[in-house]
Amino acid sequence: MPSEQRLHPATLLFDLIKHIKAFAVPGVLVMVGASRSTGGPGGMFDGVPSGWETWLSVLLFPAVVITVARYLSCRIVYANNELVIRSGVFFRNERHVPYARIQNLDAVQNPLHRLFHVLEVRVETGGGKEVEARLSVLSLAAFDEMKTHVMAGRSPLAGAVPVADDAEPEPVATAEPLVHLSLRDVILCGLLENKGMVLVGAAAGLAWEANIFGGTSWRVFDVAESMGYGVFRNLFRAVMAGGPLPLLQIGGAIAFVLGALLLVRVVSMVWALVRLYDFRLTRVNDDLRSTFGLFTRVATTVPIRRVQTVIVSASPLHRWLKRVTVCVETAGGVGPKSGATKVREWLAPLLHEPALPALLQQVLPDLEFAALAWQPLHPRAFARAVKPNLVVVATVTIIAAAIIGWDAVGVATLLMPWAILSARQYVAYIGWAETDGVVAMRSGWLWQRVTIARVNKIQAVAMRESPFDRRAAMARVRVDTAGAGELARIDIPYLDGEVARQLADRLSAHAATTTFR
Amino acid sequence: MSDSDNVADGQDHSLGPRVIPMQRIVGALVAAGVALGALAGLAITLRVADDMPGVLRWLLPVAWLVFSVLAQVIAYLWPPLHHRRTSYRVDEQGIEIRRGVLWRVVINVPRSRVQHIDVSQGPLERRYGLGTLIVYTAGTDHAKVALAGLEHGRALRIREHLLPSGADDAV
Repeated sequence: MPSEQRLHPATLLFDLIKHIKAFAVPGVLVMVGASRSTGGPGGMFDGVPSGWETWLSVLLFPAVVITVARYLSCRIVYANNELVIRSGVFFRNERHVPYARIQNLDAVQNPLHRLFHVLEVRVETGGGKEVEARLSVLSLAAFDEMKTHVMAGRSPLAGAVPVADDAEPEPVATAEPLVHLSLRDVILCGLLENKGMVLVGAAAGLAWEANIFGGTSWRVFDVAESMGYGVFRNLFRAVMAGGPLPLLQIGGAIAFVLGALLLVRVVSMVWALVRLYDFRLTRVNDDLRSTFGLFTRVATTVPIRRVQTVIVSASPLHRWLKRVTVCVETAGGVGPKSGATKVREWLAPLLHEPALPALLQQVLPDLEFAALAWQPLHPRAFARAVKPNLVVVATVTIIAAAIIGWDAVGVATLLMPWAILSARQYVAYIGWAETDGVVAMRSGWLWQRVTIARVNKIQAVAMRESPFDRRAAMARVRVDTAGAGELARIDIPYLDGEVARQLADRLSAHAATTTFR
Repeated sequence: MSDSDNVADGQDHSLGPRVIPMQRIVGALVAAGVALGALAGLAITLRVADDMPGVLRWLLPVAWLVFSVLAQVIAYLWPPLHHRRTSYRVDEQGIEIRRGVLWRVVINVPRSRVQHIDVSQGPLERRYGLGTLIVYTAGTDHAKVALAGLEHGRALRIREHLLPSGADDAV
């Protein structure tokens, strides 16, 4: 039943825009650079200002030809069990992607796409560092067709998966979205998530580069140096030197910090609104589908059996509001050692805590979240965990003593309780649990996180013993899964040596006997 | 299967004894290289810094000598320790590798999770008939698990045994 499909005619337009963009940035940079470096418009390249239109068309003409050729030559063929993408005029390329290997099927729709009722589709498989196929652009109907084909092609394999819902004969979409964020939720999410720091940081960097702060601080504070460093240093000096405190400047600094924090939160809220507006997660057969975005709509499809780990995290604010954040990691589009970047998919950017077990039930049917038996670490784990903290305190104190003398005693008395408390809480909140289907770890005192990995996704199990571990007869167990980022890994420290060995043996034996799906 | 039966015996094996002299040579060469580099640095420092106190002028070369000798001694003593602490076990389920003298680690890779396997041989390894077995998984931290110093033939047999037989998809 191989059926064929072409790209949407709007491809011509979008491709052309892409080419123009590719030319525009370097072109503008060259022209700006040329005019700036010689102090006049186009001084260095005499030919550029007068004849740039010709040059542009010379560059653009091949782009047009390439675009048309690509559009005419590109074919998408739905074979029985694979997706075939043919492209190229002189160098013909035919890419076969088996449906069973497709990790996720994402679609992105920016406002311009929406105007033409088209979208850009990304097909991701486990191998390779990049997206397997980027189809720009397809009509909405074509994308739906692709989804049906991919799903149908996958079904013989998917039928073998022990998903509880397979028993039910209704193969239709869950009408009710599993997760839906209202406008209020989205804004709250931005507030809690606090991504604004990144944006403000970038903006500050730009402003610094452009020397805006230098100018304003000159005017506002009458300080010769740039804002930040100079002001705070002078403040510090004034405080250390004794005498009347510069209250105005201290107030200014505090107001500045508070204002910056507030700005960060507001920016974060706006950013969340743009990115996550109208977030919906639905389940269609064995796929989780989410759509979100205000201007650019993103639609992602994650086959449930491709979920490697589930991460539930909550900041102190989240917990106060009884909310959690749920992500899943897939192996899509990330090869080994390529610094896992685009692997994390939202399951729920913000979720009422009571709804968590139900959502997890959908992804990990054989897991009863509430019934997880959390095991503590070794009883003497605190004695181990506190030592690195004490070393840090001692180092800081010694450095402080070298600078401010005996006052360093004060520094030590301030830091010591924190060092002890944080180690105590760190140990108290870490736990691990193991069931037939999953291994889980929870960690974090203020910023809490629960990581759940499926046993049939375990790639390797490692038990590690540092010299300190051996002295205390302890060990740590690390469970490696595909696409496990720095944060998503299960790495349980300070376990009893015997417990660790048994856990590692059990997990690896278990992983070896499960077939992976 | 008869070929792989003799490697998949579920017993802990240590590496071949020939790995010790080979690692001693490698260690000695590396230590000598570092010592030579340090010597060059020392010579330049002594030449440039004229106002250095006389004590330092004597102390630095002595320190260099001590460290260079120490490095050679460690390069000689370390390989037997490493050899004693490195072992592997291959069975029907997969491979377990133990290594590390101070920081010890036991890595378990189920056979079914193996993506592909390399057996590599450097010039020195070739001379001593040794090889390095590198097991690739789809994981992140242990995407590449290497075991150096196996007898080459044995490494090849382990590879044959571990290579996935089915057409299952491990991701």
